[in-house]
Amino acid sequence: MKRSSKADVVIIGGGIQGCATAWQLAQRGVSVAVLEKDTVSRHASGVNAGGVRLLGRHLAEVPLSIAAMKRWHTLDNDLSGDTGFRARSLINIAADEQDLDTLNKRQQLMHSQGYFHEQLIDVKELRERLPHVADHCVGGVLSLQDGYAIPYQATLSFKRAAQLAGATFYEGQEVKAIRKLGNDWLVSTHNSEFEAPKILNCAGAWADLISVMIGDNVPMSYSAPMLGITARMPHFATPVVGAVSRPLSFKQFENGTVLLGGGAKGFADRANNRTRLDYSLMAAGARNAIEFFPIMKTASINRMWSGLEAYMPDNLPVLGPSARSENAWHAFAFSAHGFQLAPIVGEIMADLITTGGCQFDLEPFRVNRYERKVL
Amino acid sequence: MPEVKPEMTASDRYDIAIIGAGPAGMAAAVIASARGASVILLDDKPRSGGQIYRNVDASPLDKPQVLGPDYLRGAELTAAFAACSARYLPATQVWHLGDNGEILCSRNGATLRLTARQILVATGAMERPFPIPGWQLPGVMSAGSAQVMLKSDGLVHDNPVFAGTGPLLYLIVAQYLRLGVPVAAVVDTTPLANYFSAMRYALGAVREPAMLLKGVGLLNEIRKAGVPVYRGAQGLEVIGNQSASGLRFQSGGQQHEIVAEQVFLHQGVIPNLNFTRALGLEQHWNPGQLCWQPALDQWGQSSVAVISVAGDASGIVGADAAERNGRLSALNMLARLEKISLAERDQQASADLQALASLNAFRPFVDQLYRPLDSHRIPDNPDTVVCRCEEKTLGQLRAGFEMGAREPNQLKSLTRCGMGPCQGRMCGHTVSELLAKWRDEPVENVGYYRLRSPMRLLRLAEMSNFTELSARDALVDTLATEVKP
Repeated sequence: MKRSSKADVVIIGGGIQGCATAWQLAQRGVSVAVLEKDTVSRHASGVNAGGVRLLGRHLAEVPLSIAAMKRWHTLDNDLSGDTGFRARSLINIAADEQDLDTLNKRQQLMHSQGYFHEQLIDVKELRERLPHVADHCVGGVLSLQDGYAIPYQATLSFKRAAQLAGATFYEGQEVKAIRKLGNDWLVSTHNSEFEAPKILNCAGAWADLISVMIGDNVPMSYSAPMLGITARMPHFATPVVGAVSRPLSFKQFENGTVLLGGGAKGFADRANNRTRLDYSLMAAGARNAIEFFPIMKTASINRMWSGLEAYMPDNLPVLGPSARSENAWHAFAFSAHGFQLAPIVGEIMADLITTGGCQFDLEPFRVNRYERKVL
Repeated sequence: MPEVKPEMTASDRYDIAIIGAGPAGMAAAVIASARGASVILLDDKPRSGGQIYRNVDASPLDKPQVLGPDYLRGAELTAAFAACSARYLPATQVWHLGDNGEILCSRNGATLRLTARQILVATGAMERPFPIPGWQLPGVMSAGSAQVMLKSDGLVHDNPVFAGTGPLLYLIVAQYLRLGVPVAAVVDTTPLANYFSAMRYALGAVREPAMLLKGVGLLNEIRKAGVPVYRGAQGLEVIGNQSASGLRFQSGGQQHEIVAEQVFLHQGVIPNLNFTRALGLEQHWNPGQLCWQPALDQWGQSSVAVISVAGDASGIVGADAAERNGRLSALNMLARLEKISLAERDQQASADLQALASLNAFRPFVDQLYRPLDSHRIPDNPDTVVCRCEEKTLGQLRAGFEMGAREPNQLKSLTRCGMGPCQGRMCGHTVSELLAKWRDEPVENVGYYRLRSPMRLLRLAEMSNFTELSARDALVDTLATEVKP
C-alpha cells in the first residue's frame, strides 16, 4: 500500500527554486508538499558558484534580476537565516580594446532601455578595486550591488523558512508518474502518492522528464559546469571577478579560499547522479586565472567538482504555466545563472499559482517557445 | 641498476597502470610485465618500497638492521621490481584516477595524462585518526610520521612518549630504542579485555606462529630496555597550551601525567580511501577492522570494471598478504586482457591463494587484539577537535547534526568539517562513526564523504601546465632520464 498525502500544491524538486516557492506559498497559507528525489540542495542548488549577479544579464532577465537583487539585500532578515550573502561588487575585466568596444555597445543598449546599474570603469579604477590585476588589463564594468552567497546554506535557509511557515518536505521521493484524478494531480513515487490540485515543476536537470509527464516537450539539455576551490590565500580580491570575453570567474571568500569557475563543462551522467570532470578544460581555466591575476600562480587547488545543471538552447529559463495542462507550472533550466533569481522566482511562481498572473513579462520564458508553428 | 631500455619508449596508453610502489604494486608489476602486458607503475616517492620498505635500498642509517628483518626483506622485492620491464615513474603524484581509465599526475611541475585498460590501486594504508583532546597541538604527531622521518632522513626526537596500540607502534618504539634514542614512556591503550576477546580467534592465529610471536617479542624488547610501559591506558589527553607539554591518562585505576614535548600517537592503520572513494567504488564498513573498504572479489576486482585494488588499500592485510594480493590482481588483469587464459590464472594463483587463506585466518586475532577503544575513536568531549584543517570541534559537529545534517556530506556543507586542505581524508572515519552513534544506526547506513580529485593540494601553475594525451614527446623526454631504484 502506498502512503498517500494531500496538499494544495505539489512542488517537484527540492532545489533553491522549489524551496523559495514553497516559502512564498506557505507564507500565503497554501499547503505545500515538496518532493525531492535525493536530499534538499543535493544538486546544482547546493554546489554552484554562489554568484549573486545582476551584471551582464540578458535583457529579458534584467527586470527579474533587479527585483531579486533588492531582495537579496534583506534576505537573511526575511528568512531568519544565514545565506552567507555578501555584497562585494562584481567586475568584468576588459583585457583589450575589443573588450572595451563590447562594453561600450552593451552600455548604450542598457541605457537605451533605462538601466543604469552597470558602470564602466577605466584602468585606474580597475587597479584601485583590484590591485592584483595583470598589467595588460585595460578597464572593465562594475556592478556595485552584486556579490555572492553560500549556495548550500542559502537553499537550506529557504527550506527552513518554508518549513516554519508550514511547508512539508519529502526527501528520497523520486517522481515516477504523474496523472490526473478528476481535477487533481496524482503524483506517484516508489512508495507514496501525493494528491494536489496544482503542481510546479522545479526539477532542475531532471525537469524535462517531469515536463513530459505533464505534457510539455522541451528542448532542454543538461550539463556539468565545473568549479574548483583553492586552499586559503592571503586576501587579494574583494570584488567577484569575471572577464568580458574569456571564460574566467572567481571570488575570494572571507576565509581566503578562492572559488574558480568560468562555465567550462564536464561530463554529466544524469542517470547515475554523477559527473565527470574535464581536467584539460580546468587546466585552461587555471591558465586564464593566472594570466589575469599572476598571484594565482601560488594558489593550490584543493577540490574540483561539478553539479548537474539544466540548460535551454537560448540559455534562458522556462518560467510560467504549462502549455498543455491546466494547473501546472514550470520553473527550471536556469542555464547556470538561476541562483540569484531564486527570491523573485519564488514570488513569481507563488503569484501565478495563487492569482494566475504576475507583474513581469514572462513571454521570453514560455515553455513552448521552441514549438514549431503549424502552417 | 638498469636504465630504462631504449625499446621502452613511452606510449600514452598502457595495458595496466599500477598506482603505488609498495609490496602489492611492485609484486603486481613484476608478474604483469613478465607476461606480455605493457605496464606502468606510478609512485609519489622518489624510491620504490612504499611506506613499509621506504628507502630499503638507500637507508640514511648506518645500520639499517635496527629497522628489523621484515624491513630488510623488502630489498628482495625492490630488486625484483628493478629488474622487471615495467615502466616506472617515481616522484610522480597521481592526483586523479577516472573510472574510464584516465590517470592525471603531477610530475616535474607539470600535469601529465595517461590512459590504461586496467588500473590497479595499491596505495596502501594511512594511520587511523586519534581524536583526543589536544591532538591538534604542535608536538603531537602520528607514530607513523615519526617513522617516516626516521626511515627517510634518519631524524629522531629525544624522550617522546609513544601512545596507542598496534604492532606498528611497538615496532617504531623498538626501532627508536635500537638506535639508542631515549623514550619517556609507552602508553599502551590496548584494552585489557581485548586479550580475552581475541582468544576466540586464537585458533586461526596459531596457523601463523611466526606472526603471533612478533608482537610479543617487540613488547619484551621494550620492557627490557627499561622504558616504562603503562597498560590498558584510557582517557588520553594531550596537555599543553601552545604546544604539547605532556600526556595525561588513566592506567591501573590511577591518573598519570608524563612530561614530554613530543607525543607520538598510533592506533592502527586503515585503508587509504582517497582513490577508491573518489572512483565511486562500492564500499562496506568492516566491523572487525572498524574501517571502510572497497567491495572486491578474491582477485581484488572492484565494482568498476577497469579498477582493481590490492594490498592495504583493499582492507588491512599486512605486507606479506599485500604482495600476494598484488600478484593475484595482476594475474586476473592479465586474464582479462587475454594475455593468459583463465586456467593459467587459476593455476599460477593457487600458491598465493593458499597462503592468503592462512594469513586471513590470523587477521581477526590481530584485529580483535588491537581493536582501539571506542572512546579513542569517537570523541565525547565537545571541545575535542575532529577536523584539524578547519578546526571544527565535536560540539560544532553536534550542532550541525541538530540542524538536520544526517550524513557526512550534509554535515560538511553545514559545518565545513572536512572542507580543508585534507578534504576530510583525516576526519572521515571519525565523522562516519559519530553520525552512526548519533543516529543509532550501523555505520554502513551513514556513508562517507564524496571525495573528489585532486587527491592532494595541486598547484594551479602545475595544473595549468597540462601535457595532453597526444603530446608523447614530453613523456619520452622525462622517461629517458628515468632509472629504476
